[in-house]
Amino acid sequence: MDSLQAEQAAREKAAFWDGVRISAPTMPGLVAWGAVTGMVLVQSGLSLWQAIVMTLMVYAGSAQLAVLPLIVAGAPVWLIFLTALLVNFRFIIFSAVVGPHFSHLHWTRRLWYGYFNADLVMAFFPQRFPQHTLSKPTGKLGYFMGLAMPTWCSWQLGSLIGILLASQIPREWGIGFAGTLVLLGLTIPLIVNRATLAGVIVASGVAVAASGLPYRFGLVVAMLAGIAASVTIDRITGSATDQERGKS
Amino acid sequence: MSVIDYLWLMVLMALTTAVTRSFFFLLADSRMPPWLQHALGYVPAIALAAIIAPDLLMSGGQLAINPSNAKLLAGIAATIFFLLTRHLISTLAFGMAVFTLLRLFAPAL
Repeated sequence: MDSLQAEQAAREKAAFWDGVRISAPTMPGLVAWGAVTGMVLVQSGLSLWQAIVMTLMVYAGSAQLAVLPLIVAGAPVWLIFLTALLVNFRFIIFSAVVGPHFSHLHWTRRLWYGYFNADLVMAFFPQRFPQHTLSKPTGKLGYFMGLAMPTWCSWQLGSLIGILLASQIPREWGIGFAGTLVLLGLTIPLIVNRATLAGVIVASGVAVAASGLPYRFGLVVAMLAGIAASVTIDRITGSATDQERGKS
Repeated sequence: MSVIDYLWLMVLMALTTAVTRSFFFLLADSRMPPWLQHALGYVPAIALAAIIAPDLLMSGGQLAINPSNAKLLAGIAATIFFLLTRHLISTLAFGMAVFTLLRLFAPAL
């Protein structure tokens, strides 16, 4: 290996551990969240092996929960597939935040990395690599995997705990609330200006109002409304985000 | 559902995860229009807020902005705690403690 390659590898490795360090505090919340999902899988009628295979392969909590009644009722495979697809629709918006940074990779690798682009990864990644760093690939893969691997591991660990201990964790403990608290702690520092605050308020309101929509479409509607609110406030006040003001 | 059918279904479901999550990994170009790049900058905060808002503000499928909503109270307490400490794990512990105490000792409030 020549020295340039070695240097690059070292930089990716350092970025990986940066990612692990910054996402580590979220793990207890993710484990708790996974545990709740795992418990429901078993309690709704999946067998042990069915629940474990689903968790390890599908890696999408809401979709897993949404298809449970269909599987238990013996619904046709295409209907279950379609339901999962619709519930996962919101991930498309997540992918727009991180995906463009990896447009230089071969498509099979983009598909592989994309699979791991969960909510938390999407929340952390742009804090280190905002949109104006699109053309600079250094450290991104390492950092991405440093966020994605602990996220995958803690979610799966939690899910397996939930599946195996399903009957031993009382539901009224509300341990899933730990996941909400972690996301709350991640959201607050992201609210850096009035435009973001407006988007957060509008998205929260719409998410509540539209929570009855099927396939978690309420989340999609809420996100679109929130983005529209942020951009509008931006236009009115003429303020850009701090990052953009500083660097471009 | 037979074992083979179930495994096929899991493959299909994993595909829905992979395809939606990697959608703009596969399609995007690094030369996005500036307005879109700018708008995407708001997505993380907005998406997280949209995920947590129903859990905090609703109870049993109904809007519950009132003092008997233990999650809302614990969420407010956790927010104040986080703003003061900026520490995620202790905020998580604090929020769960407040939530659990409210649940156990003030179920009707």
